[in-house]
Amino acid sequence: MYRSKILAGLLALGTALAAVGCGGEPEGSPGTIKVGLLASLSGTYQAIGTDMRDGFQLYLRTHGGKLGGHPIELVVADEGDGPPTAVPAATKLVKQDRVSVLTGIVGGGSAAAVYPVLTEAKIPFIGANARPAFKDVSRVWHTSYLSQETGASVAQYVRDHVEGSVYAIGPDYQGGHDQLKGFTDAFTKAGGTLANADGKTRFTPFPTTTNFTPYFAQIKASGAKAVYTFYAGTAAIDFVKQYSQSEIKDLPLYAAGFLTEGGVLNAQGDAARGIYSVLNYSPDLDNAENRSFVAAWKENHDGPPTTYAMASYDAAAVLDKAIGAAGDNPTPESINRAIGQLGQIDSPRGAWQFSKTTHSPVQKWYLRQVRQDGRALSNMVVTDLATVGK
Amino acid sequence: MRWLIAPAVLAAVAAPWLADPYTTATLARILVLGLVAASVALLTGVAGLPTLGQTAPFAAGAYAAATLALHSSSVGVTQLLMGASVGAAFAALTTPLVVYARGVVFLMITLAIGELVVTAASRWRSVTGGTDGLAGMPSPRPLWGLPILDTDRARYLYALAVVGVVLCVVVLLLRGPAGMYLRGCRDDEARMRASGHPVGAYLAIAYIAAGAIAGLAGSLLVTTQQYLSPADFGFDVAALLLLGVVIGGAGSVVGAIAGTAVVLAARDWLSGLLPGRGPLLLGALFIAAAYVLPRLRFMLRRVVA
Amino acid sequence: MNQVDPYLIPALDGVAYGLLLFVVAAGLVLSFGVAGILNLAHGTLYAIGAYVAAILSDGSWLALLLALAVGVGAATAGGAALSGMLAPVPRGDHLTQALLTFGVALAGGSLLVMAFGAENLPVRVPATVDRPVDLAGHAYAGYRLVFIAVAAALALALHAVVTRTRAGMLVRAAVDDPDMVACLGVNPERVRLGVLAASGALAGAAGVLGAPIIGPGPSTAATVLLLSLVVVVLGGRNGHSSVVATLVAALAVGQIQTLGVALAPTAAPFLLFAAMAAVLAARSHGLIRRWSPA
Repeated sequence: MYRSKILAGLLALGTALAAVGCGGEPEGSPGTIKVGLLASLSGTYQAIGTDMRDGFQLYLRTHGGKLGGHPIELVVADEGDGPPTAVPAATKLVKQDRVSVLTGIVGGGSAAAVYPVLTEAKIPFIGANARPAFKDVSRVWHTSYLSQETGASVAQYVRDHVEGSVYAIGPDYQGGHDQLKGFTDAFTKAGGTLANADGKTRFTPFPTTTNFTPYFAQIKASGAKAVYTFYAGTAAIDFVKQYSQSEIKDLPLYAAGFLTEGGVLNAQGDAARGIYSVLNYSPDLDNAENRSFVAAWKENHDGPPTTYAMASYDAAAVLDKAIGAAGDNPTPESINRAIGQLGQIDSPRGAWQFSKTTHSPVQKWYLRQVRQDGRALSNMVVTDLATVGK
Repeated sequence: MRWLIAPAVLAAVAAPWLADPYTTATLARILVLGLVAASVALLTGVAGLPTLGQTAPFAAGAYAAATLALHSSSVGVTQLLMGASVGAAFAALTTPLVVYARGVVFLMITLAIGELVVTAASRWRSVTGGTDGLAGMPSPRPLWGLPILDTDRARYLYALAVVGVVLCVVVLLLRGPAGMYLRGCRDDEARMRASGHPVGAYLAIAYIAAGAIAGLAGSLLVTTQQYLSPADFGFDVAALLLLGVVIGGAGSVVGAIAGTAVVLAARDWLSGLLPGRGPLLLGALFIAAAYVLPRLRFMLRRVVA
Repeated sequence: MNQVDPYLIPALDGVAYGLLLFVVAAGLVLSFGVAGILNLAHGTLYAIGAYVAAILSDGSWLALLLALAVGVGAATAGGAALSGMLAPVPRGDHLTQALLTFGVALAGGSLLVMAFGAENLPVRVPATVDRPVDLAGHAYAGYRLVFIAVAAALALALHAVVTRTRAGMLVRAAVDDPDMVACLGVNPERVRLGVLAASGALAGAAGVLGAPIIGPGPSTAATVLLLSLVVVVLGGRNGHSSVVATLVAALAVGQIQTLGVALAPTAAPFLLFAAMAAVLAARSHGLIRRWSPA
């Protein structure tokens, strides 16, 4: 009996809070389009998630709150650490807020888990980060990259610049497998040799590995002349800091750019100096789009923008063009059709376009190195690498 | 309390017509996890074995049912039986590990089993799809000849019916000698042994039965969520289930579902209202519950007396 | 020699890791064994220490000492506050304690992230030891060597306190028979306060000194809590724990996480929990047999 009263009280409280939350927002007047943004605003990936939210909001702010001429109501929801929190949040965006488009999503697992909800509601999804394998991409678009492309774009460079074998090591989850496979496949195809004992990438338990010293001992024993890796977040910090004090500290370290991207670089500090990384973006790229993007970003943030913020900014840019081309009364269906007909998109990373088959960018990749930039360390572009995507 | 049952059932059946599809989907998810929580309560509250490992048979049942759904049968009942039997088999296999343990040691062994299963699930990619998960399971029909469950409302009602039947069976069994023996093991194991009861066998049966319930819930998860990922069975979920059971009053199987409902509703709705502040509010809820609940139970007992 | 050589560094590192876990877990053992409190917010107290280290460290020894004082002070205060919060919860009610302290851990973790941001923060170690040291032809992080020495000294001191002092005697007595200690006229409220404050101090010290090894970030508290729970349960026996048993358990977990990974990399993700389940199951098996000859 008392318990049911608590329940009733909780529900009442919830309704009251909901009423307060909605009070300030305008009713969906004709022409307003609802966009859902799902990103990790709490938990392990909070830093990436908030960058993605801020990137999208930055585009809205610098474009008068409109995309394609329509006022936008952005509904933000918290993806949390993965599917158990991402699915309820996405269900709310789709079934309660009835958004016309969904964007964001940090984790590959979350994206795969949300996919059935989106397919059922026939809503297009503009992903701005991880891209798991989908059965059907007719309503799925990514402004980021395919996980295998990162390593593939740098393989030839590593082959040309390292005299000897290369040790491949990465985290044991799907994104890690894809990232490393991209490198090792292209690298061996280019005639390179892996130093790993059985010729297979060494995968470390994720996220439980906080101590990489035992793996460094193996790398030393393997006689490798360089290391290729992919880690992000906490693992990236641990890996880099321990690497710089280990017995293989003098081996050149090549990595997917996430190893030294954003806040992790601050945490790594001097330990990251000299690391080579490959990414589709660097804040020091010299083009007009990037200059204005970086300037606008720095108005509200201490550090330079990350690739996560840039990809989400581009998701807004894609929607801007697509909604503008989707007729007077854009529907999820017409927006999705319009995305398919977009041409080149001018972006801070340089111009890119969607691949007709994978619905992810055909774009240029850059080799960067962690160097001193004024008072802080930064990822500076060393050279352009291949344009990848098909 | 008994007069509450009829209106509660009525409200549960009417809910999908009163609520929007989002709330209906949320309620279906709560039912599924509530059933796992019932199995946690059976062990933690009734048999006195606090567990963080019921996510393991839950996962085993879910992946078994999903494999069945993907490759052969789209009939709900066969999927339920598959989930339940695989969950029970999993529990039977791990019984030798846990049956002698009590208290915190039982808690930590089950935690280890849960973690090992999640690790295995994220690595056995041909069956589980790895950390990206497994999707594309078709909606089942409940029985041969019945229509396919293709709306949120239908899936919710199906879950409600299954959970209702399982709960009735469990509650009835616990009212009989089975419940008495288990509570005896919990309250005074030495005396039970002294009077000749095979305590180990009783607890093993309870553990296997709890595994069957969790496995069955796993196959319901496939139906309501149509997606499985190792994260569905992680430590976070195990901890929320245990805390939901504590909030619901550990000894009560029905209370466990109510407690889990409060915890999950708080998690999903609070984080929807204030994105990014979910963990903070959930933490505050747990703290408040720790203070308020014992007093409420005390008052309740006095009112009833 | 060549057979052993590649495993020297992982084995040494396992000692550093194990000693870190020991200092954290010792606090948990204290609160569980003496005050009967299952404190799931213990990892959060470590995180407080680690954040303090990150904020105050500037590469000098003085800053490290200052961080140690502030971090230990803050975590001690945190432990004392927890003791106050736990006052209404009955001693043996582990489930309600778990509910309360898990709530504190969740909310506290969120507050820490709100205060310090979602990024992992960098921690600077004193410049004189911030370099690799040559050990039998291998390079090893200088700070970790210092850490091993300091943590080993801490372990010795702890052992001396527990076995030689009056407070330690009381602690051992309380572990054996809490009711007896209450009969001796020692106020259980004060025991709880003292124990949780001391346990907080240990977590805080571990947090400040261990920050360069397990650094401050959103997932720190959970990682540390889980590993130290494993140590506590492995080091406990029949509800009793000793300093030595906890140390052995911590070093074992440290070796599993380093040497075990180096020896059997493919089994790495399963090692820790498989070992824990096996040890606990075998031990409970033996316990029941001895306890009930029938």
